[in-house]
Amino acid sequence: MPTNSQPAGFWKRNQMKIAPYVFLAPGALMFLIYVLIPIVQSIWISFQDWDGLGPKTWVGLANYVELLDDDTFYVALKNNLLWLGLYLLAIPMGLAAALFLNQNVWGIRLYKSLFFFPFVISQVVVGLMFTWFYAPDFGLFSQAIKWLTGSEVAILADERYVTYGIIAAGLWPQTAYCMILYLTGLNNLNAEQIEAARMDNARGWRLLRHVILPQLAPATFIAMVVTVIGALRSFDLVSIMTAGGPYGSSQVLSYFMYEQALSEYGYRMGYGAAIAVVLFLIMMVFITLFIVRMIAQERNR
Amino acid sequence: MAEVSLSNVKKDFGAISIIKGIDLEIKDGEFCVFVGPSGCGKSTLLRMIAGLEDITQGALRIGGRDMTKIGPSDRGVAMVFQSYALYPHMTVAENIGFGLRMTGHDKAEIAKRTTAAAKMLQLEPLLDRKPGQLSGGQRQRVAIGRAIVRNPEVFLFDEPLSNLDASLRVQMRGEISRLHQDLGATMIYVTHDQVEAMTMADKIVVLSAGRIEQVGSPLELYHRPKNLFVAGFIGSPKMNFIPVEARPHNGGIEVTLPGGTLLQLAGTLAAAGKMTLGLRPEHATATGAGDAVLPTKVQLAEHLGSETLFFVSLADGSEIAVKADGLAPQRPGGAMQIGFPARACHLFDAAGNAVLNGDLTR
Repeated sequence: MPTNSQPAGFWKRNQMKIAPYVFLAPGALMFLIYVLIPIVQSIWISFQDWDGLGPKTWVGLANYVELLDDDTFYVALKNNLLWLGLYLLAIPMGLAAALFLNQNVWGIRLYKSLFFFPFVISQVVVGLMFTWFYAPDFGLFSQAIKWLTGSEVAILADERYVTYGIIAAGLWPQTAYCMILYLTGLNNLNAEQIEAARMDNARGWRLLRHVILPQLAPATFIAMVVTVIGALRSFDLVSIMTAGGPYGSSQVLSYFMYEQALSEYGYRMGYGAAIAVVLFLIMMVFITLFIVRMIAQERNR
Repeated sequence: MAEVSLSNVKKDFGAISIIKGIDLEIKDGEFCVFVGPSGCGKSTLLRMIAGLEDITQGALRIGGRDMTKIGPSDRGVAMVFQSYALYPHMTVAENIGFGLRMTGHDKAEIAKRTTAAAKMLQLEPLLDRKPGQLSGGQRQRVAIGRAIVRNPEVFLFDEPLSNLDASLRVQMRGEISRLHQDLGATMIYVTHDQVEAMTMADKIVVLSAGRIEQVGSPLELYHRPKNLFVAGFIGSPKMNFIPVEARPHNGGIEVTLPGGTLLQLAGTLAAAGKMTLGLRPEHATATGAGDAVLPTKVQLAEHLGSETLFFVSLADGSEIAVKADGLAPQRPGGAMQIGFPARACHLFDAAGNAVLNGDLTR
């Protein structure tokens, strides 16, 4: 009869300890190669003067100093904050749409699909559609404005309105996204809790505020995260609709970075990297807040 | 005064009829239990009284007022849900006070009544906790507190004890009964557990497939079941049902038991025919004493200490249960003489309606 007195192999003894790291390894490796190393590289490049091909020259903080004197940077920063503030409207709008669609009537599935549709189509298509929508002469919106006020407004050519016009386009798919998050949350509501609230005389707004919204808190949190991140990295709509114009008045940080580093305006990799680092730091503020909250929730469980 | 009266109340979900016409009077201060197998409509009926389900047809009156079309919060009723349905983001105090807050009471009044309710239910040390930090029994008490604080005239309970373990269930049963005595309010209680129904109720309503089978006090239902359904549903272990031939005989009834033994019952019978004899396990005797004695074989013995439950097979192979003294010597496989006392036998006709109810007090 075999005995167990022989010392078991290293793997056998430590299997339970090692296994989690083995499972983590592929993801950690990918994260390292595609996220962490590029971040470090970007920071490194931001201290150089580099055209992308030739030799790099160490310039220290010169790129950042130049950035602080660049008017376009402040326009982009201001627009990013505008994006952040107005993009958050997608959350209450998504909630309203979800509450409206959360009923059992004939054909509601088709209706839900139609509301979800803007999220499925490409941002490029959204941008093009809104460009036509705003277009002077034949755009629906311009026609409506003309009919209402008598004068024409070219939204995307007017530096007063252009950023608002792009944000409005962005809100369309983002609202659909938030709506889907809330619809899922509404599906998981505890029906007895709502009935208890009905017996407790909570109706309408008060029922929503005191019983339903607290139950939707996880959905609200996810909606916050995706909306804030989405606002900060807004790029595609700006690129499609105005390319930052007119006169750079609809710039945002990510498009400004692209323009400096990779477009016909020049191949200033170091300067572009400096913009990217600033954007990254702004994002880190929000990401840290989200992560702190998530950890706190995990602990409370 | 909060008597509850239902007249010809019906409920349809689409083409499916769930409640098929209920007439019921529940007196003020009465503890009324709706009992029945799952799917019989007892919860639906309770929810209709609460106002959570519309009444398709018929009328509901509470305290003399027509409540058929009134909203749930205006009926003067409070409900305790099966899952407790506490608001997880509120403390115990906020949970209890929520209804008062929603009806616009001022803070001092809410605090006063919340404390009073908490005191009654021994929840005072827990007022600042969230439901997630409470045990099942404590959550149940908070749910009851939420009902008490509104001073309702009628309490509705929807299987409130089904999520608790056995010993806690016995304890909460006692607490709810005590609460009923203290408050003197009308209470309607839904359960599928006939033990809960028997121990708590002033009045039991046995429901089956959306209809009332019988209404009565626990002992009335136990001793005088109107039909086979009630006879089989009330009492644990279940009443034994034995197929017999019955015929009128000498001003009484004569039945032929399996194996051919004859048993004379008092009472009258219109016509002879195949019938069902009902005899509760505790009324059959393992000592062989009785008006008819059947030879049987012991299949299984459950020793509960104070008593032993024998499952024995008759001549035709059918099995019956017999409750005997805990020291009864018989063993599985052995023979046993089972006595049938005529006075304790029930007789049901082919349609399942009682022809004769045994009465041991007679």
